[in-house]
This record gives sequence, C-alpha cells and structure tokens, in this order.
Amino acid sequence: MNPIISARGLSKRYGRTLAVDHIDLEIPAGRIVGLIGPNGAGKTTVMKAILGLTTFEGELEVLGLNPAARRAQLMQNVCFIADVAVLPRWISVWQLIELTGQLHARFCKDTCLKYLAKTKISQQHKVRQLSKGMVAQLHLALVMAIDVQLLVLDEPTLGLDIIYRKQFYSSLLNDYFDDQKTILITTHQVEEVEHILTDLIFINNGKVALDCGMDEVENNYVELMVAPANAAAARQLGPLNERELFGRHIFLYRGVKRELLEELGELRTPSVADLFVATLSGDPS
Amino acid sequence: MKRLLALLRREFWENKGAFRTTPLAVGGVCIALLLMAIFTTAHIDNELYTFREAMRLLAQQPVEFRAEHLYQAMISISVIFSVVLSFVVFFYLLGALYDDRKDRSILFWKSMPASDVQTVASKLLAAMVLVPLIFWVVFVITQVLMLITASIMVLSVGGNPWTLFISVLNPLKPWFLVLCSYLAASIWFLPLYGWLLFVSAFAPRIPLLFALVPPVVIAFLQIWIDFLRTFTFNNSLFGIIGEWVANSPVIISIQIQGGQETLALGIPYTSSFDHALTIGNILDRLFSLQMAGGLAVAAVFLAGAVWLRRRATDS
Repeated sequence: MNPIISARGLSKRYGRTLAVDHIDLEIPAGRIVGLIGPNGAGKTTVMKAILGLTTFEGELEVLGLNPAARRAQLMQNVCFIADVAVLPRWISVWQLIELTGQLHARFCKDTCLKYLAKTKISQQHKVRQLSKGMVAQLHLALVMAIDVQLLVLDEPTLGLDIIYRKQFYSSLLNDYFDDQKTILITTHQVEEVEHILTDLIFINNGKVALDCGMDEVENNYVELMVAPANAAAARQLGPLNERELFGRHIFLYRGVKRELLEELGELRTPSVADLFVATLSGDPS
Repeated sequence: MKRLLALLRREFWENKGAFRTTPLAVGGVCIALLLMAIFTTAHIDNELYTFREAMRLLAQQPVEFRAEHLYQAMISISVIFSVVLSFVVFFYLLGALYDDRKDRSILFWKSMPASDVQTVASKLLAAMVLVPLIFWVVFVITQVLMLITASIMVLSVGGNPWTLFISVLNPLKPWFLVLCSYLAASIWFLPLYGWLLFVSAFAPRIPLLFALVPPVVIAFLQIWIDFLRTFTFNNSLFGIIGEWVANSPVIISIQIQGGQETLALGIPYTSSFDHALTIGNILDRLFSLQMAGGLAVAAVFLAGAVWLRRRATDS
C-alpha cells in the first residue's frame, strides 16, 4: 500500500535559515505518529508543508497529492487542528456545524453533536463567548466527526483540563482511530500521548533525529538505574545519556544486551520524554 | 457550486450587521423621515388646509406630469441606498481577506476543502451580487411602505390615493432600473473591487492605508512629472479614477434635459457616455472599450489576490 505521507529531501528556508533541512519521511496508513521536537525545531513547518499551507523545496506527497498545489482536494481527506483557538470568533456553534457539513462531504453531524453533548457548549453559543478550553473542545468535536484518512493535530489539547485531555485521547483511540486512518500529533505533553503512539519521530534543528516504531523503542532502548558504586561500570557500556535522580544514576542505552545490564541494576523501558532528552543531548548539533 | 453557496452563506453570517442591519436601518430612516414630515405638516398646517390644496392642485395636473414626478421621486430615494451600499461594499472588500488572517481563523478556513479561488470568488460574489440584492429588496420594501403611508395620509383627509397617484404609477420601471444599475455598477467597478481584494489579501495591517496610499503617491508623482513637462494637471491617476466614477452606471446625480431636471447616470461632466437614465445607456457602458480595459485590470488584481491567499497562513 502507498504511504500516506512520503517526503524526500523536504526543505524549507526562511530567509537565510534552513528551518527544515532535507527531511525524509515515510508514514504508512494505520499509524499514530508523534512528531516531537523542541521549540523552533521545524515541527510546525513540516506540518504546514504537509497540509499545503506553505511552499517547500524537495518532494512531498500526501495521499498521492502535492499539498502545495492541491490543498483543497487534499482537505477532502485530511483534517487538521493547526493550533488551539483558531475558530472564527463571530460564528455561532450551529452555524459552524452547518457550514462544516456543507463544505465537508465526510462530516457527520450526529457524531459531532454526540461529542458536544459531553461538554457544556450549547449550539446557540458564539465562539467568542466560549472559554479557550471550550473552543478547543468544539474544534475537536468537529474534527472527530469528519471521517478522513489523515488527521493532523498540532498541540490539540493546549488549554484543556486534565479530565477532558484524558477523555479526548481515549475517544481518539477508541472511537475515531482505525487501521485505515493515520494520525499525526505534535505536543509538548509527550507523556500524555506516548501510550497511544505507534511511531515516533524526533525533529531537531530541522532534521530527523529519530524515526522509529514504539515497539523498536521497547526492543532497542533500555534505561538502567544503578547505585553510585556501579556507575563507572555502567559508563563503560556506552550509554547515550546519564542523569542522576535521588542519588541513583540513570543510564540510557541503545542496542545493548539486557543480560549485560541486568547485573548492574534495575532495568526499564525509557519514557518518550527521557528518550527525547537523551537523543537530543547526544546530538552534537 | 454547493461549496460556493455555503461560502456565500458564511459571508452573510459574518457580516450580518453590514449586509442586513444597515439597509434595514436606511429603510427605517426613510420611513421615519416621511412620518416626521407628516407629523410636522399635521402640526403646523391648520386643519391640513395646505395639504388638501396641494392634493387638489396635484390632481389637476395631467397624468403624465404626475407619473414622471412620481417616477423621479421613487428613483431619487435609491440614491441614499446607493451611497450607503457603496460604503458597505468598500469596507467589506477591504476586510474580506484580511480579518481572518488577523484573528488567525484562516487556519480553520484552510482546513476546509474549499479552494482559494472559491474563497476569493465567494467574497467577490457577495460584494457584486448578494449585498446589492439585499439593498435592492429593502429599497423596494421601503417604497411599498412609504406608498402605503402616503395613501393613508391622503385617505385621512378624504382624498383618493388610487386616482391621485397609485393608478398613474408603474413602480416596476424605477425598481427594475435601480436593480440594473446596481448590477451594472458591480461590473463597472470590478477594477476597484479587485484592487480592494488584492490589498485585503496583502496588507500586513491597516488595509485602508494600503488601499489609499499607493494610488495617492502614484497620482502625485504623475501630476508632478506632468507639471514639469507640460505645465498642466491632466491625465493623472486621479483623473482616470474621477472619470471612471463620473462614467459609472450609478444613479447619483441630476442633469438638465429638455429644460427639465432629471436623474442621471454617474456625474454628467464627461461626454464619453450619454448620462440619461436608460437601460441602453447602462449597457453602453458595459460594452465599452473602457470596460474591457477595466476588466483586464480587475483580472490582474484578482489573480494577485488568489495568489496571495494561497500563500497566506497565520504568520
């Protein structure tokens, strides 16, 4: 099957800075991909290129289309929340639902109303009357009611309370996602999404620092917690990263045999956040 | 097509105040002024003697005289609507591609499967067709209400509104002429609309400034260069725009024709077109060389607006 997103040498230059530096990507259908990177790493630029919101150099195909040239056609099968609170402020909720229904062939009004029923939003409300969190809820309800092949979420839960965030990710996984769909998420709250991700892409300084499946993370990466006495021995095995916590040393390894490490201390699978810090601090650039 | 209609609906929702409330307010003001005039007359005119006299004198006039004056009076009310309409359209177009860039909702609109051409087309169609149509409908309703009010007034003093003015009147002709003039003006002013949309798509802030400063600067440079060369002040951009307005198919001024004051198309100081108010003269403008040139200019601006819209995001 053709990949949903495929990029070859994708680059974007703002003036003299290269915001995206020859990125290669291949994202097949049925994945939930986390696009993780520090501020200014180029995540948003990559997303904008994928959504046809910016021009770029190199090759990029999304659902077989060039997004820069065919945005309108692409949007029939792609949905995105580019940032929180970008819904027009003058519109009322029922108008927004009506309009989305007329513009989007794949929008299901009943589904949207079902999600809205879980919130305090009424159809008579205008967006400007809603709090920031409610606007995000409304936007998510709209997007979840559109049956598309690719959903792109850029910081989708910013400003939402923790209960709704949990709810959102669980309905995203249980009600929305299936093996025909692909979801691309960026967020700084990595710990909230890591349990639903199937794939991980780290971006730093406009380059891909890591691109692998979550199962690979579990198989290849391991975190070792040792007492200070064993620290020197652990260092010998070539960790990617070392940190200290409550007087214990924590090392992160890639592709080191578990049997070797088990003798030194406790093992566990690293969290995405730890992996992220380790990968980026190990990156000389 | 379905998408375009949905987008037009969006424009109406977003600009309800300008598109619906404004013409209703203008109509309300017309009726209020009429009622005030009636109450003033009733107040100072003892037993409405003067009013009865005026009615009697009017009834003695030949039918053609009454018909002609009524026709002129009906059309002249449209001038108020036209002036307000032009302001509404001007400021609407200036904000059309700017406001959602400013409040960042452009990211939401761009997530919809509507192309940038469709978006720009919806804004242009709203300005060219939707808004003039709403103004025209309110104009017609206002006139019907005013005729009813006047009839009641005449009835209340024992007159017969039917023989006095209703039977001699053919409202369809003035209404139709005003509608034609509105739609023709939409085409005639396309270069201006194109420019406003282009500025609206381009301006990083204060679109009004970006709409006005370039033409003013160009015109002043032209005038200056022209003055150095020939010591005259003609042929600047100001002259061209002024002539364009003067030649427009909008009922806006009065000219003397056959010793009589009649309403005219545009401002009758130019001689390139006949300013008499007829359908033929309106069409004459639309099928002129000037119009062809104007459409070419409009096409350039509109293509520019679409090009800019395609590249526009929140930053």
